[in-house]
Amino acid sequence: MRANFIFSEVWIGLRRNLTMTIAVIVTVAIGMALLGVGLMINSQISGMKDFWSDKVEVSVYLCKKNDPFPQCKGSGGVNAQEQAALRTQIESLPQVERVEFEDAAKAYANFRAQNAGNTVMLSAIQVGDMPESFRIKLKDPETYGAVIDGLKGAAGVSNVVNQKTILEKFFGLLESLRWAALVVAIILVFAAALLIGNTVRLSAYNRRRETGIMRLVGASNLYIQLPFVMEGVIAGLLGGVVAALLLIISKVFLFDKVQEYLANTPLTWETVATVITLTMIIGVVICVLASFVTLRRYLRV
Amino acid sequence: MIHFDNVTKVYANQNRPALDHVSVDVDKGEFVFLVGPSGSGKSTFLRLVLKEERPNSGAIHVAGKDLARLSNFKIPHLRRRIGCVFQDFRLLPNKNVYENVAFALEVIGKPRRFIRKVVPEVVELVGLEGKAHRMPDELSGGEQQRVAMARAFVNRPMILLADEPTGNIDPATSIGIMKVLDRINRTGTTVVMATHDAAIVDSMRKRVVELEDGKIVRDQSRGVYGQAY
Repeated sequence: MRANFIFSEVWIGLRRNLTMTIAVIVTVAIGMALLGVGLMINSQISGMKDFWSDKVEVSVYLCKKNDPFPQCKGSGGVNAQEQAALRTQIESLPQVERVEFEDAAKAYANFRAQNAGNTVMLSAIQVGDMPESFRIKLKDPETYGAVIDGLKGAAGVSNVVNQKTILEKFFGLLESLRWAALVVAIILVFAAALLIGNTVRLSAYNRRRETGIMRLVGASNLYIQLPFVMEGVIAGLLGGVVAALLLIISKVFLFDKVQEYLANTPLTWETVATVITLTMIIGVVICVLASFVTLRRYLRV
Repeated sequence: MIHFDNVTKVYANQNRPALDHVSVDVDKGEFVFLVGPSGSGKSTFLRLVLKEERPNSGAIHVAGKDLARLSNFKIPHLRRRIGCVFQDFRLLPNKNVYENVAFALEVIGKPRRFIRKVVPEVVELVGLEGKAHRMPDELSGGEQQRVAMARAFVNRPMILLADEPTGNIDPATSIGIMKVLDRINRTGTTVVMATHDAAIVDSMRKRVVELEDGKIVRDQSRGVYGQAY
């Protein structure tokens, strides 16, 4: 097998079909980039879920004086007896891992820390405005339903908030983004396969004299088909390289920026490398398959 | 060398067989003319030898191999032992004489040193010495056919198939082509030539196999083209 012969044939083929080659590269690049983004969102979601599942709590807010919540109307705030009863009730629930009481002073300290830059808010809100609450850590964050139902109507409780439901809205958004990226990626991969098929068909037609003679003088099938397959592979690889650049850009300018707000689980370069390798392999395999399928139809041996 | 045993070939969508129970033997080193009107099955015969087509029934042996049992994977190896020449030359227009002949060796993976040694010899054998760097469009029809013969012979095939090699060439030039074919035949290569050219067949006095409607109607050693045409 003579490599320089194959490569000169490949080069001629790619140059003759320059516009088609560019179309293939662009389609493969965008398809693979979207596939990669989908995979990156995927690993991001599981990383963030792990991160948050340790931290999500169910907050049971207690009535304070003049509380606007309807459950608290008329009462002068939670009294010590109700508070003790609530704690016993919460601790008796089988789903609960541990419970902490957050008094007004602690809540105020947390609030100050979170809004350190906001002087208007800080000056307007006093320690007395902060609700007291029980912070419940569940053994399994998925079992919040029963806990909330059990505590919502209890005496002295103003409101029960599950942080998980807030997060889930966000995760739902991420998941639909992921699916959108994957669906578009699949459509583009399909389009890329058809484009490669057409490119190979064109070059098979352009070089029908050569392949006819090669067949006649007994060149092996591999030798006849390899230049065409290599054309597909090179177009696929170039598309993969562009896709890799797009993925790196999206990590730096999109994922890392979003991470600053959401969770302390930045996408690692290791994940990006895995995703790039995977999309490259998929891209090239698709190109090879599309080339072979087309060759079987248009290059009878 | 070529052995047809009761071979029938019917093309799809056609009722009449292209070859109808044909049995014929061509020995090593023979020179055989295949004659007959258009559509009599000459080209089908050649295509069957190359395993470009498969017979509907009957057995074909070429160079000791049963073609029915030859896997697709091995067809290229069969074709390396068979050279082919056609009416329309089938040269590569963007390659010169030397490159056209060398192409046949390059694509079967022969080393460059071997190619550099063998190609000039064959170019000389077909009478094109000094024209190795001409492009096909700078050559006459007869010279182009010589290039095609050089390409067919450069790998020293056991069999040379020629499908109306003089069909596009004037009678005077055809004599030169036939001399080259005869020279190739004298090296021990079996030659099968399909032709319409009565003058050539009559002058060569070789074995003649005549086909008509897919049947062999005559098989004559040292024959002539026949009176019917």
